[in-house]
Amino acid sequence: MNIRTLIVSAAIGGLCLSAPAFAQVDAEEIFKENDCHKCHHPTKAKKGPSLAKIAAKYKEKKLDEKEAIKHMTAGKKVELDDGTKEDHKIIDTKDVAVQTAVAKWMLNR
Amino acid sequence: MKKTALFLGVSVIVAGCASVATGPQAIDWNKIPATKVALFYPGQSSYQWLRSEAHAGAAKETARGDSCTSCHDDPKEEQRQGAKILRGNHPLEPHAAALKGKNGHIDMTVQAAYDDKNAYLRFQYKTHNPNHPGNDYPGYRFDGKEWKAYGGMRLNKNVLAGKTGIVYENRLNIMLDDGKVPGFAQQGCWLTCHDGERDMQKEASKAEVEANALLKAIKKSDVRKYIPASRSDPMDWKTGKPLDEIAKLKASGQFLELMQWRAHRSDKVGGADDGYVLEYRNFDKGSNHFASNMDGKTKQPKFMFDPAKFGAKAFAASDYGGKKELILVKGVNAVPFDPNAGWKEGDILPQYVLSAADAKGSAADNKAVSSWKDGVQTVVFIRPLGLANDDDKALKPGGVYNVGFAIHDDNMTGRGHHVSYTKTLGIGAKADITAVKLN
Repeated sequence: MNIRTLIVSAAIGGLCLSAPAFAQVDAEEIFKENDCHKCHHPTKAKKGPSLAKIAAKYKEKKLDEKEAIKHMTAGKKVELDDGTKEDHKIIDTKDVAVQTAVAKWMLNR
Repeated sequence: MKKTALFLGVSVIVAGCASVATGPQAIDWNKIPATKVALFYPGQSSYQWLRSEAHAGAAKETARGDSCTSCHDDPKEEQRQGAKILRGNHPLEPHAAALKGKNGHIDMTVQAAYDDKNAYLRFQYKTHNPNHPGNDYPGYRFDGKEWKAYGGMRLNKNVLAGKTGIVYENRLNIMLDDGKVPGFAQQGCWLTCHDGERDMQKEASKAEVEANALLKAIKKSDVRKYIPASRSDPMDWKTGKPLDEIAKLKASGQFLELMQWRAHRSDKVGGADDGYVLEYRNFDKGSNHFASNMDGKTKQPKFMFDPAKFGAKAFAASDYGGKKELILVKGVNAVPFDPNAGWKEGDILPQYVLSAADAKGSAADNKAVSSWKDGVQTVVFIRPLGLANDDDKALKPGGVYNVGFAIHDDNMTGRGHHVSYTKTLGIGAKADITAVKLN
């Protein structure tokens, strides 16, 4: 085995190790583990807007998952239906890959 | 199985059958619809915690009276919440390390039927321990001089300190409201679970209890379940209302029915507790199916086992968790305690003695039959319809009731149970659980 083959094999091996790790992200489960579902229902308005409404708004404003990640990590004040404001919960992961998976899952509702 | 155990089992089954007539045994439960109810481990999620900022994003909504399930509405909610609380880093369970391996939730099936006399509520669930029915109970152990309490539930301070054994009976509880307790339909059992209660946050000290006017008036030595209306400030257990106001609440129906099947203290005599929650977790008037086995004057047990029936006059700590049923029943295997029977250190006698005949009054309204096989517990409660006692909620055909369920499993009592969100029970009326009229 020459050095080039070794490098390519290592790279493929690395991909094989990291790809399943990414693929194993269960975005819906992480969304619920973080209790996001308590405020955001797929279709109904709860304390927060439904996922369908969020997705439609992002589509309309041509926003992507990066904006959604900002929203779930910044802990900014959000205005509720009754006019009161409170801090938005921050997702309990700093892993950008996981945050991206959750954001994409939300915006595809 | 030893002859003594067989004798006890047969005797008790006969006694149980006699007391419940032809009720649940005659029902073909295969024809009764089954409703799945999930219960989860709530840790120390008290009325106060739910209204605090720690209940992230839901304090205001809970205080407003929103239902738990207005947020907790995912099909796997109970599974998820129970697992999170027991995971080890959750503020609602400071003793998670001692509970390693405990199941976060329990899946239960509920069936209901009724005839002209009774409602029959049947429950089935897997016990965490597949090898024991959970019918052991703490005892009195002879230390060579005195009889002292032995054993406790998993969260008991002496158990956690390694000073005594892990022993407690399994229980299945039903809390029921006929619509008269504000908030129960929305928040169920969590209305009754408060800081200051046993093993909860800010557990009341002996001095605090002794200084409290209400607890002093009702002669209680700890804080137990109460409904918010029994306090002038429901956030503070110390603010109990005067007894005349408590009596008015009771007269207006502001209390919760509490029925409890106990694997040790009621099962073998075919009974189930009949109690209610108002200013405290009370028993109904009359006598329970079980009574203390300690003579307050002599500081010795009142009854011991009949060696001819039980095989010995007492048992040892090593017998807990075994195949022998360590249950003392009057008229079956109990005889008056003999202080000169040659007691040796380590002898243990049960803390309670059971008797179906001694159960009287409103406290004896409920019956139950049960079985435990292959790790599956089955319990059928038999509740007479139309009870008129002032400490009962009357079940009537056409009525719909709010109910919450709790399972105390794997040596747990107090807060160490699994609980359900509120469901509705209809006696021949449409509800989450509908009792079917029997022909």
